Amino acid sequence: MSGYGFRHAARMERIKLTSVRSTWWLATAAVLSMAAAGVGVGIGYRAHTPVATTAQILNNSLSGAILAQLLLGALGVLAVTGEYGTGTIRSTFAAVPRRRTVLAAKVAVGGGAALVVGLLASVAGYLGGQLAIRGTAIPAASLGDPQILRAVLLTGGYLAAAALIGVGVGTVVRHSGAAIGTLFALVFVPSFAIGLFGEDGIAVGRFVPLLMLLNSVAVTTPTPGLFAGWISVLLMCGYATVAILCGGVLLRRRDA
Amino acid sequence: MVSGLPRPSAVPSVDPVIELRELTRRYGNRTAVDRLTVRVQPGVVTGFLGPNGSGKSTTMRMILGLDAPDHGEALVDGVRYADLSWPLRAVGALLDAGAFHPGRSGRAHLAALAASNDIPGARVERVLRVVGLSDVADRRAGTYSLGMRQRLGIAVALLGDPGVLLLDEPVNGLDPEGIRWIRDLLRGLAAEGRTVFVSSHLIAEMALTADRLVVIGRGRLLAETTVAELVAGGDNLEDAFLRLTSQVTDHRGTDVS
Repeated sequence: MSGYGFRHAARMERIKLTSVRSTWWLATAAVLSMAAAGVGVGIGYRAHTPVATTAQILNNSLSGAILAQLLLGALGVLAVTGEYGTGTIRSTFAAVPRRRTVLAAKVAVGGGAALVVGLLASVAGYLGGQLAIRGTAIPAASLGDPQILRAVLLTGGYLAAAALIGVGVGTVVRHSGAAIGTLFALVFVPSFAIGLFGEDGIAVGRFVPLLMLLNSVAVTTPTPGLFAGWISVLLMCGYATVAILCGGVLLRRRDA
Repeated sequence: MVSGLPRPSAVPSVDPVIELRELTRRYGNRTAVDRLTVRVQPGVVTGFLGPNGSGKSTTMRMILGLDAPDHGEALVDGVRYADLSWPLRAVGALLDAGAFHPGRSGRAHLAALAASNDIPGARVERVLRVVGLSDVADRRAGTYSLGMRQRLGIAVALLGDPGVLLLDEPVNGLDPEGIRWIRDLLRGLAAEGRTVFVSSHLIAEMALTADRLVVIGRGRLLAETTVAELVAGGDNLEDAFLRLTSQVTDHRGTDVS
């Protein structure tokens, strides 16, 4: 008899994630907010002179990711803090005493779900923008164009990483409100603080989540000085890894 | 049989016992559990008695590996809880009633825990029937009454058909019918050869439910005895209990005058 393992913990986490409404609300809100931003941008540019470019439409129609990253980040947070807040965490750890197996399962299940939702949201933003400019002189952007496809896919990847940062922060902070507040601060405060660096702003800013999203990930061509989109997404995954590892260390030490 | 399955296969060669060896836990200067050494036997209901704040819940959490002891160890079936292959099939626990996500249905809560220990879905339906929650299983747990939550907690404990049951204050907040139901259930489970360890601060209830008693105060073992022995001096159980714990009660009111 081998005993339970990651596979069992992952099944448990899948059931838990899909059996609360907050998951569905946050996922739906993430997709809708990106779709709405896309449509809004498209409508805004319809009568714009000079005629907007493909890049302008795409870059801006993915801007709903600013909100979507917070929604999916909250989804990641709640996958952990929802259990601490209600006491369910003790049932979970009684069922799977190897706590880091639980964390790994939350990362795999939450990250997988967030990637699917993130890609859906990103495509929804793209489609919203494209549908809103139909019948105008603005050139359509095709997903067959590697630059366009890359921006859409990377935005989905960025959103999944934001959810994983949420899982890590939730594991460290454990309280829903405090963890979501921490997550928002991590997203926004560094991008404000960039102003303090003056001339060196870009050198620092290319490491900052929100600036990476808007200038490197969700764009056809990154702003000069910033990393390529895929490097920015990897950097986000790196931040998530750090947060999750911190959570993993604390999980072992703390009482449940 | 109460649990509706044949004798648990998870309880083969070793007797399903709980062994506490010098179990100790400090919080800052306060010693919540102090060198507690106890062996809880199968086949009977063992009551775990003590005043509020005497360390009962901390002991229960240490048995389940949720809190780490500073010294000593707690063993179930001869191993530490964390080393059990299928924890829910060896030990069923009710810690705090209402420890459910209010937005998740009772059925989903059970299904998630069942999946973690490879327990078949049919067993989820079985325990829902045993505790009488089949009709409300798809309702969100937040809408359950206190009694229904307590029953869901019992369903969780029974889920893996475990040889050891650990229940922290299971009758808290229950109506007389619910109290009797739990009492009969626990006695039935013990009669099947399981180890049943139930904490309570309600002496009268323990007198009706338990055969053996473990009495603690300020984290220390005060008596390991049977209900019959404790009242042998001619006291009733309440007087005997109060005499035992009189030195260790944290907060005491005085007569109104």
